[in-house]
Amino acid sequence: MKKIMILILCSLIMLYSIPKSYAQTNIIYAESDYDRLHAVIQHVENVLKYGHEYNEETKLLPDAINTLTGEPAKWTFPNRAQVPYANLANQQNFFRTLVALSNVTGDTKYKDEAVDILSEFMENYQSPNGLFEWGGHRAINLDTLDVQSFEGPNGPHELKNMMPYYELMLEVNEEATLKFMRQLWTAHFYFETTDMNRHGSYSTAYDVNVFGQTIPDDVIQMDQQGNPIIPADSPGLLPFVNSATDLAYAAFTLSDYTFDPIPADWAKYLMRQYNLASNPITGMTVYQFKSTQVTKTPAECAVPSYTNSGCGDRVARQFRDFGPIARESNVAWKNTQAVYVDNILMLLEAADKYGVEHFVDWARDYIEGYLEYAYIRIDGRNKIIPMFIDGTVTYGYIVPEVGYFGPSKMRLDYVDMPTTYLLPILRTILQTKEDEDRIKLWGYFRDIVYTFGLGDIGELGGASPNLDLDTSIDDPFALMAMVELYDYTKNESYLNVARTIGNNIVNEKFHRGFFVQDEIMLYSRLDQPDTLALLTLDAVIRDIPLSNMPFYLADSGYIHGYLLSDDGVVEDRNYSQNIIYTKTIYD
Amino acid sequence: MRKKILGLMIILLIGFILTACKNKPTDDQDDLDIIDQTYLLLMEAEDLSGMSQKTKTVITSDGNLNLPTSYKGVTIVYSSRNKDIISDEGIVTQPDTCWIESRDQQGIPKEDFVGLNDNWPVVVDVTLSYEGQTRTAKLLFVVAPAAGFTCNKYLG
Repeated sequence: MKKIMILILCSLIMLYSIPKSYAQTNIIYAESDYDRLHAVIQHVENVLKYGHEYNEETKLLPDAINTLTGEPAKWTFPNRAQVPYANLANQQNFFRTLVALSNVTGDTKYKDEAVDILSEFMENYQSPNGLFEWGGHRAINLDTLDVQSFEGPNGPHELKNMMPYYELMLEVNEEATLKFMRQLWTAHFYFETTDMNRHGSYSTAYDVNVFGQTIPDDVIQMDQQGNPIIPADSPGLLPFVNSATDLAYAAFTLSDYTFDPIPADWAKYLMRQYNLASNPITGMTVYQFKSTQVTKTPAECAVPSYTNSGCGDRVARQFRDFGPIARESNVAWKNTQAVYVDNILMLLEAADKYGVEHFVDWARDYIEGYLEYAYIRIDGRNKIIPMFIDGTVTYGYIVPEVGYFGPSKMRLDYVDMPTTYLLPILRTILQTKEDEDRIKLWGYFRDIVYTFGLGDIGELGGASPNLDLDTSIDDPFALMAMVELYDYTKNESYLNVARTIGNNIVNEKFHRGFFVQDEIMLYSRLDQPDTLALLTLDAVIRDIPLSNMPFYLADSGYIHGYLLSDDGVVEDRNYSQNIIYTKTIYD
Repeated sequence: MRKKILGLMIILLIGFILTACKNKPTDDQDDLDIIDQTYLLLMEAEDLSGMSQKTKTVITSDGNLNLPTSYKGVTIVYSSRNKDIISDEGIVTQPDTCWIESRDQQGIPKEDFVGLNDNWPVVVDVTLSYEGQTRTAKLLFVVAPAAGFTCNKYLG
């Protein structure tokens, strides 16, 4: 009897001693949870059904599906040819969704679909030099199953923040994936001159020893005042950070997979140039670390409407009134998604998965500086004050002449801060070790979350939030942020808000059997992040560790090229996002 | 029998202790409620104190912006990024030059560009404090130069 008593007492004491974070979660899987999952399954099944139905000779899927007809989205060329296209660089979130769906349902058929599609693509559509036939200017024509160029007959290779799902690609076809990751550098990075080109040639020979050269001195040197000198000698090969992000991500993945540290060293070298070019006072960072040299004649450059980079730095031309700070690298009101969202998500991923810990400090310097100088609440909305990275405000500036950044008499106004900023800020905080380094960023994050209508996440750490459980927000980034906060704190308030957001997403965006941006939007894009976000929520409800789930990194896929305008007459050069995915069911 | 009574007492005692421990978060919760209200008050102070009233129009005269320094107990402190034009106390002194002189690509002044960018944007950082909690905010004012200002400062 005595022993039984002691046993009961010990059990009681142990039960109360277990830290909350290690305790088994007692989350009940509710009917509404199933409803959300069911919507995702319906979407996936419909994408697979209609996507495969169009051309049964291939497993490849179109980038987007017309939700009224089930037909693939088509690109209309200037000669009126309509081409349904499969651009697998623009389908990475769908592959992540398929794997995530298998993870939460336990049914492998979804992952098998992803494997089949990638397998066919990697086997048949890898150029002899190693580049895949995908990206900003190429895709597969789903009528002919030939490679389709959108930028003239021989469109270049271009990835901008597409961050492919390499884990799965390596599982599907290791040799092809490794070859691609190496060739991405050979085709885009000029080792002799350290120039980088967002465009890569399909003619560049494959180089198995691509990383064989000695890492050179830094491109960015400092002047006597400690400010970075931005070279203006690039021969039209601008090192945009959105391309560098993809190069670095590939190199880190390559090193991790092959245990060869050299590719990662090159990735660190490349990312360090952006860090060195950042403003030493504000911490704000750059979109590019070089300007182009002038190759056109003074007469050609006297024409403001010439906006290509042959006349040198395009901001120096159009914003010359501001003096030396006016450089393309220093603009902090355009391309900020690439600089402060996609790039930071990659830096944090590299820090987390590949041990590049100082990237967390860089990420914090960049985003904290940006928010400290430029974040403002206007009429209860999150906004950005337009400025250069040294803090020189450009708000209200009226551009005197036309240029690369817009028409004459354009007035610079506040820039909306989209919800995409939630994840890089939150992940930076969560990956920062010391509380004292988190406080400032947490303060901005708290204000931003509140202003987006999610309620108050409370003091540092978010252990005691006062959230708006009835929030009307229907946004996948807000959903993922709440899920990640729940995962960190185990406070169920975050889970409850995440469920509300998830329900809102289904109510507002699930129409005609597909997830669409809005009820009236015609196309359902495979790269949309909503389904992956919903499955991330489903995973935490089921107590599946987030580390076992495919991770959101970007949804930047696009096609850029020549097409026929909606008027049916004028030839245009534009993006799929502007021309195709803006169509409504009434167009 | 004694052993049984003793055992029962021990269980009751432990049960009491555990129940007492479990009740403690309620006290914490009261504190948290206060903290939550503090944050909402700090937000309210930014939105309703009237500090942003004059950010909607161009300020065309010298004088006091009358920036509120308190709101329902919240202390509000300002720090201007251009103290020559707006002081930390919210006193406006119109500058005697334009903000930006705009010229064409060849650096030649053009009639079209005169007056294009005369008005100065000035950011003021705000710190709001209440019972040990602080948060920051920003205000952006636009100030016109004083009458008779000059505009000969092309930087291009």
